Amino acid sequence: MPEVLSITGLTAGYGPLRVLHEIDFNVEEGERVGLVGLNGHGKTTLFRAVSHLVGWQSGSIKLNGEEIGGTRSLGPGRRTSGIVRKGLAMTPQGDAIFPGLTVRQHLDCGAYSRLAWRERRRRRDTVMDIFPPLRKLEDALVGKLSGGERRMVSVGRALMVEASLYLVDEPSLGLAPKISASVIEALFSLPTEGRAMVIAEQNVALLTGRVDRMIGMHAGRLRGDVGHVGLE
Amino acid sequence: MDILGTIIHGLNLAAIYGLMAIGISILWSSVGMINMAHGATFAVSGYAAWIVAGAAKPLIAAAFGKTLMAKLAMAGVTVGAGTLAGALFGAIIYLLAFLPIHDKPNFAVRSLIVTLAINLATVQILLWFFGPRQRGLPKLFGFGKFEILGVPIRYDQAGAILSTAIILGLVLFWLRVSRKGLEIRAMMQNPEGAVLSGISVRWTALPVTMLTGALAGLAAILLSQTIFVSPTAGALPLIKGLTIALLGGLGSVPGAVAGAVVIGFLEATVGALPFLGQRYVLFAQFLFIITVLIIRPRGLGGLLDETRE
Repeated sequence: MPEVLSITGLTAGYGPLRVLHEIDFNVEEGERVGLVGLNGHGKTTLFRAVSHLVGWQSGSIKLNGEEIGGTRSLGPGRRTSGIVRKGLAMTPQGDAIFPGLTVRQHLDCGAYSRLAWRERRRRRDTVMDIFPPLRKLEDALVGKLSGGERRMVSVGRALMVEASLYLVDEPSLGLAPKISASVIEALFSLPTEGRAMVIAEQNVALLTGRVDRMIGMHAGRLRGDVGHVGLE
Repeated sequence: MDILGTIIHGLNLAAIYGLMAIGISILWSSVGMINMAHGATFAVSGYAAWIVAGAAKPLIAAAFGKTLMAKLAMAGVTVGAGTLAGALFGAIIYLLAFLPIHDKPNFAVRSLIVTLAINLATVQILLWFFGPRQRGLPKLFGFGKFEILGVPIRYDQAGAILSTAIILGLVLFWLRVSRKGLEIRAMMQNPEGAVLSGISVRWTALPVTMLTGALAGLAAILLSQTIFVSPTAGALPLIKGLTIALLGGLGSVPGAVAGAVVIGFLEATVGALPFLGQRYVLFAQFLFIITVLIIRPRGLGGLLDETRE
């Protein structure tokens, strides 16, 4: 299978602070990967480095074989929209919410890129099949929704586009177990052809047996298995 | 004190300040820039309208004579030149104060300094070219007044109030329904979420700076119906616009509209009170704004906001 994401020797962090050290990480098409680790060990920073919300100091990140970073120092976020258009869909930790938009407009934002805008109605329908509670809330302001509904909107926004790589950061964070299980369930209901998904989680049990492989993250480095990261 | 007359005067001021304040507010919340050059945009638009109107006058007179058509053509040319100049100056601000520094640390402070510099430089350039003399713009709405329920309303007052209401209505409608509008609103509410949706900050900032510049240009044309165009004419509208945007809770469009109405009425009332008068207007406004911000730090926008963060 071709590689969707290929990271080699990535070192990244915030200003002088190094959070990720020499990361090598590959994800193949059709794969579902669980990235587990405690708070503060670099899961979110890795996702944010891939989407260029965090600048990186050295290394290379390739999306579908194409270099998406380069090493020239540009302000964080400058390349993000371009990377998204190249096939990245990311749900950041704590949800990217537009509180003053309705659920429908919020989902439309996800179909913003490429040709997706023309078929946003159909895509919205698909997302609402995945998250049925959203159907009734179509005209509600996102800022008035509950935490679980916001998570559905946030994840749904990322699902509006035909991406090749989905990065989902802690989909269970702050949700009741039943609701987080349904969000994870919805993520796994997506077909795997032509796409890959990486889910960062602290709740190993939610992913066990459902992802193709699980990688532990500890102190800014990847560990081959989960046993080393202190979650079990 | 003539209460109804004061209300009309207040609405007139609210319309003009509102155009400035909404521009400042939208630009702050979507692009993250406090545009101190908004006053320069105001003055440049006034001069552009004055030059174009002066050049077009003989042509229009030759084509239409002294008919109603001539008046309409003159008004169209003046408003068009003013708003177009405002939009173009907005694009210059984008090129100088946004594009080179928008991804650098402390962009908000840097852009504040750069736009302040643009403002000062532009005023000096205008002084150099045109001198301090005041210029009058053609009267768009003609001279005279009419009465509604016994209240005399000058044509220019009615014109300013109506045209502002229509233009602002159109802009807000466009923000609500168009794809570009959705893009701008997404960026106003969550810049990080917007870039993660594939919205490019650089390409969205250009129409925003041009739109807010055009609004300042329109404000310049409307205010120049009452006062004259001069190099420093933008200073007071800039201060009023900034304070109203702050009062409305920077970034809230409904807050800015409410703030403009409140400040417009306050100015009209203080100016009309026999024992206070015009010279206490700014004093009273700042006192009011400080008091509101102490009690409601998020400004009026916080009261109008029905969602939570």
